[in-house]
Amino acid sequence: MAKSDDYVHILQGLLVFGNVVIGMCGIALTAECIYFVSNPHGLYPLLKATENNDIYAAAWIGIFVGLALFALSILGIIGVIKASRTLLLVYIILMLITFAFEMASCITAATHRDSLTPSVFLKQMLERYQKSEPASNSDKELTKTWDELMLQNHCCGVLGPSDWQEYTSAFRLTHNDADYPWPRKCCVLDAQGLPVNLDGCKLGVPGYYNSNGCYGAISGPVNTHAWGVAWFGFAILCWTFCVLLGTMFYWSGIEY
Amino acid sequence: TMLPLLLLLLPAAHAVVELPYRPALTQTPPLEGLTTASTFVLDQPRCVFEGYDNADIWLVVALDKAASTFNNTAVPGTSETAFQGFPGRVPAYMTLNATLANYPCPTPAGDITVLRVGSETSCATDEARPTCNGPLPGPGPYRVKFLALQGSEPVAETDWSAPITLRTAKSPSSIATTGSGHSAGMIAITTILSILFAILLAGLVAMLVFWGSDSCGGSSTFSKPESVTVRRYNTHHVYDQPASRL
Repeated sequence: MAKSDDYVHILQGLLVFGNVVIGMCGIALTAECIYFVSNPHGLYPLLKATENNDIYAAAWIGIFVGLALFALSILGIIGVIKASRTLLLVYIILMLITFAFEMASCITAATHRDSLTPSVFLKQMLERYQKSEPASNSDKELTKTWDELMLQNHCCGVLGPSDWQEYTSAFRLTHNDADYPWPRKCCVLDAQGLPVNLDGCKLGVPGYYNSNGCYGAISGPVNTHAWGVAWFGFAILCWTFCVLLGTMFYWSGIEY
Repeated sequence: TMLPLLLLLLPAAHAVVELPYRPALTQTPPLEGLTTASTFVLDQPRCVFEGYDNADIWLVVALDKAASTFNNTAVPGTSETAFQGFPGRVPAYMTLNATLANYPCPTPAGDITVLRVGSETSCATDEARPTCNGPLPGPGPYRVKFLALQGSEPVAETDWSAPITLRTAKSPSSIATTGSGHSAGMIAITTILSILFAILLAGLVAMLVFWGSDSCGGSSTFSKPESVTVRRYNTHHVYDQPASRL
């Protein structure tokens, strides 16, 4: 009997440890998702304009799942120590519901990330950047976001300044090709925000214009966001799976 | 007999010198805007028109098919060579007037010496400016050559350039945004999580079935009697047993 007691204590200890880890990971998940939702790189208007901001929905779900995991882990610890069948049953069922939500969040984040190809941003930029009337609020937001993106990252267009030459655009409707082969923000600007050499920029002389595309500057943060939510959530769920299996095993052995 | 000889010499004195130079798009440095939808960039004709200090050097721009019909006696600044009538009424226009002083020879190292054809947008529809260097109206192809005029007499010309075709822009609706595949990571996450969730649901169902048939359920899972039998966690009982044996 003493031996079985040891095993019981070991199992209890493992379950308590598992729940502690779940609680801490829940807090970490909440913190990470709050960080993403706070839009640190200013890319939210671009994603909103794709008519599909699932990545943000996934982050919002992550916040609440994280808090739920923390609360449930405390319930789990109490249930294991007290060896109470009802508490543990409630714990298992609520954990399964949380598992389902977190699973949805991970899959959504990963799927949405896959749909954000350069073509999506290119088409959006060409159709809406500097769109003249009728320009909705989201168009103006998008223009502002692109201007800041090009300014801060010293880049132009999605794949390069040739985007503005290869395709017609809303920008092209109001800015003729000879004066504006590409937007002024693509030029190397001085401290006052004026092009250092306007003719050099219009000609495309290396050094007076930004020749890189901005896709790298967009996909970097979006990837971090999506994979942060998806893979961290996946890791938590794998651990939770093990703890839940252990709890089910423990529960079925409790006599009441 | 002298008169016919003099008459023969006169046309030779008025012949236009053909310089062995072909205008070309700028190759160095590499320019992003070498050809756009309405402009293109040529090298300046440096060290080409040596000796023609008093001549005006004009750039003649013509559609590819109209190049052969251009007459060197055309006068720049008239309606027959006005940019505003190009290409409908005017088969070739003359622009970018310069003298040899604008093209010093040799080129200082490090200087970018180019001519941007099509850069003046302000006079594109101004009939009072027939020599406007306005944006080209279509993708071409175009051919250009330089012509040196002394007074109103053509004295020297270069070859016609190779045909220059400008860029044509496509519509953004032609960009395909659907059909991107699913990445391996997304597929892995979906399948593994689905399997784990299914196992947990099965476990929950098994648990509830256990509860339903609870009388013999508890101990039968743990079949080996000498190993873990998580029967009772009532510590009182464990401590009581040794006491009762005594």
